[in-house]
Amino acid sequence: MDKRIFGALGALAITLAACGGTGNTGASTAPSASAAKKADIKVGLVISLTGVGNVYGPVQKNGAELAVSRINAAGGVNGANLVLVTDDDQSTTDGGVTAFRKQVGQDRVVAILGPTLSNTAVAAHPVAQSAQTPVIAISNTGDGIVGKCSWGTCDYIFRASLGESTAIPQTVNVAKTKLNVKSVVLMYAQDDKFSSDGFAIFKKNLESAGITIKKEIAFSKTDVDLSTQVTAALAESPDAIVDSSLAGPAILILKEVAKKKPGQLVIGGNGFNTPAIIASAGQAAEGAVSGTAWYLSNADPVNKDFVAAYKAKYNSDPDQFAAQAYSAIYILVDALKRTPNVTSVLHEKLRDQIELTTGVKTPLGEFSFNSSHDVNQKVYVVQVKGGLFTQIN
Amino acid sequence: MDQIYNAIFIGSIYALFALGFTLVFSVLDILNLAHPALFTLGAFTALFAMQQGVPAGLAVLVAFVVCGVAGVILDRVAFAPLRRRNAPPLSAMISSIGVSLILIRLIQLKYGPDLQAYPAGSLPADVFTVAGLQLDTLRTVIIALAVGLMAALTFLVRRTRLGRELRALAENPRAARLLGIDVDRAIAATFFLSAGLGGVAGALYGFATNSPFSQMGLNFELKAFAVMVVGGMGSIPGAVLGAYLLSFGEVASLTFLPSELRDAFAFGLLFVVLVVRPSGILGQRAVDRV
Amino acid sequence: MDDLRAFFDAYQTTIGFIGINAILALSVWVTLYTGQLTLGNAAFMGIAAYTSALLTLKAQVPFPLALLCGSLLAGAISVPLGATVFRLRGVYLAIATLAFGEVVRVVILATPITGRGQGLVGIPPKTELWHIFASLLVIAYVCARLRISSVGRAWAAIREDEVAAASQGIPVHRYKLAAFVIGALIAGWAGGIAAHFNFAIQPDEYGFARAVQILVFAIVGGVPNVLGPILGAALLTALPAALQPLQEFRDILQGAILVLVIVYLPRGLSTVFDLRRSARLRRVGAQDVA
Repeated sequence: MDKRIFGALGALAITLAACGGTGNTGASTAPSASAAKKADIKVGLVISLTGVGNVYGPVQKNGAELAVSRINAAGGVNGANLVLVTDDDQSTTDGGVTAFRKQVGQDRVVAILGPTLSNTAVAAHPVAQSAQTPVIAISNTGDGIVGKCSWGTCDYIFRASLGESTAIPQTVNVAKTKLNVKSVVLMYAQDDKFSSDGFAIFKKNLESAGITIKKEIAFSKTDVDLSTQVTAALAESPDAIVDSSLAGPAILILKEVAKKKPGQLVIGGNGFNTPAIIASAGQAAEGAVSGTAWYLSNADPVNKDFVAAYKAKYNSDPDQFAAQAYSAIYILVDALKRTPNVTSVLHEKLRDQIELTTGVKTPLGEFSFNSSHDVNQKVYVVQVKGGLFTQIN
Repeated sequence: MDQIYNAIFIGSIYALFALGFTLVFSVLDILNLAHPALFTLGAFTALFAMQQGVPAGLAVLVAFVVCGVAGVILDRVAFAPLRRRNAPPLSAMISSIGVSLILIRLIQLKYGPDLQAYPAGSLPADVFTVAGLQLDTLRTVIIALAVGLMAALTFLVRRTRLGRELRALAENPRAARLLGIDVDRAIAATFFLSAGLGGVAGALYGFATNSPFSQMGLNFELKAFAVMVVGGMGSIPGAVLGAYLLSFGEVASLTFLPSELRDAFAFGLLFVVLVVRPSGILGQRAVDRV
Repeated sequence: MDDLRAFFDAYQTTIGFIGINAILALSVWVTLYTGQLTLGNAAFMGIAAYTSALLTLKAQVPFPLALLCGSLLAGAISVPLGATVFRLRGVYLAIATLAFGEVVRVVILATPITGRGQGLVGIPPKTELWHIFASLLVIAYVCARLRISSVGRAWAAIREDEVAAASQGIPVHRYKLAAFVIGALIAGWAGGIAAHFNFAIQPDEYGFARAVQILVFAIVGGVPNVLGPILGAALLTALPAALQPLQEFRDILQGAILVLVIVYLPRGLSTVFDLRRSARLRRVGAQDVA
């Protein structure tokens, strides 16, 4: 009986998976109707629509889709329609690898944007690298994502999301020179990659700036209450409390600090760069400082145009993640326009053009890649004033 | 000391959460893994009510009722059919996992996965000082409310007829039925209370953090196990005791141990209690059938 | 043919994980078959994953040897654990093993060599699909043979009634421990294979969520025979992939399917094969003994 069942099992498994495989997966898979029209160009988007990263995924999808529809309305890529193939990485390494494998093997996209979380990226990017499909990371800000990748050769991987290793030094600099910070307590979530990477970067930069770290306090990203840790931090009387974590713990910390010592300066990393901080922490968020790749009230004309278009289409303000996804599409399209003979799979032809990217106008400012395939843009150090992120550098 | 106040606050939330969980477990032997989802539902029901202009206090009551009803529905849909078929006890746990998936996703579809916030100004934000300690109105009220609910539940279980029925049901369902107890009604009451309490815990915790989000219940799930075991399975005062022991233990270990090992303390303690005294501190049932 | 190849390439990960999850489900099956409810196998998986990955990454140990070391270490650790908790039953045992799992996770987070919160990256991707399915076949065969052997019969007797089994001269503790250790070895093997399948691992992957997931595979599949866990794992792994097109509503459908399966087949999917037999028996008036 066992042997027959094993056989049936294999068939069952493959059939079940097949049901998903033949289904429609793209957000807008337009069939190439007439022969005269140029073939569609497929671009992959792998983001967290479910799981813990799904706080960011949906807005990334919005930003990318907005960019794609505007580009197509303006004539596409030299006449060819751009098609976005969206897949969910489920915020897990398995999900990310599966999505990447599918887009590379089945959809045969020219490039992939994503995945959402750095945790997923270190597992999924190698898949694209071995398939020679260029990747633009749109929200991975940890170390080892581009240039000298922690997992091996990664010359097909690019990054459009400002890395913490570029942003944090600017933040620390502003803290020291403009805000007179001489001592800090460094708090961080120890069990997620983004926060632990940020912690290491903060520590390095604080030390080289000559700022004393009076205490390091680790907590868990799942902690339901941080009042104990904040009390311990305030007991050291630092000039500033530095928090390397995602938005959830950041809100808890801001609120506790505001209760116990109003006016205490709190400095954060990229986890602070979301309107949810202001909405949930309210008055407690006033004065919080962070370094960001983008902020809403940036008066740059390209940004204002983006914000207006986003608001018109989605009825809400965009955030940094939407802006980075939107910008990445424009950056990719800029490279595609310079690539001769765009066909389904372009490998190094596209990669070489992406490398040459320079002076692309995006809501993030003027954009180019540096020699490590990393972001070359202005860093905005912002502070929450009157419920809005305001630039202070 | 500030830290003691913190411990009391978080212990109160643990207790409210664990009480609902323990209630269903002691009366029906079911590990209801949908409890965290009901907790979350409470926070969002309150959010919805307050967005319609309902004041915070009333919103908590709304959360209690809505979640209570949800709990009864949960039982009808996911657990009652299993009881009818004499299913093995673990199948109820699996069923509850399925319901939890659905419920949390539904909340996400309506509100999005992001952190939400209660309407500005709807929650008290003032801070006051007592004997050199800095306390805040919101959390003090929450603590008082939580303690009141715990007392009310204890009274209900010890002194009322419903409480006697629940205790009989916990001892021996068959005998309870033979004694003329309306078992179905008692079970419905159990779920109503359990889910209602869970929902209130969620609403109160949501107020305290002002950042309700769809995954908020999951971090409490593990703590609930710890609370149940340390305090004693199937014991309501035990759950309360366990909750405060856990919260004080966590605060203490934060002060004396390197912060990375704090969770290890909680679970290490849990392990030791299980090995040394599985019935917990106040529990009556020693070792049990599967 | 080209399409089939493309499809296969794209779904490699899912197919691989069907196999890995089936092995994990079998690791829990072994203990469930003796009536022990363990939530520790995710931790054993993690211990072996980190061990084997560190060996191949830092010490260039050949792949099969690294897998073996990982699995053996998990097995070794399971011995004192099993001996400590053998007196616990049911939910208590589950929680004790869960506590153990959390302690392991915290230790991983606190130990620098494991990469702590950042996890391990750049693990050589040595695992191929045939490794996974060959392992599954061997492990399934061994489990099936054990089940029909005198060891398996002793396990079943222990599950039915420990006291009766002991009075029949079965060394209960030794057999329970054996099942526990075998489960850990199998879970460890799966951990090593999985770690080399995906290039990167993180502590989060081996926590409470994973432990519950494995348990769900085994119970949804059914405990009476070896086929059950494999079926459960295959269905529940392929399901999210198959439901991908539904994106937004995928979780809801998954939850609904889980509830439906467990309510209609509370003893697991594999009982579907027994239904015809028991229907025949009922017609004849005989009772279903199993």
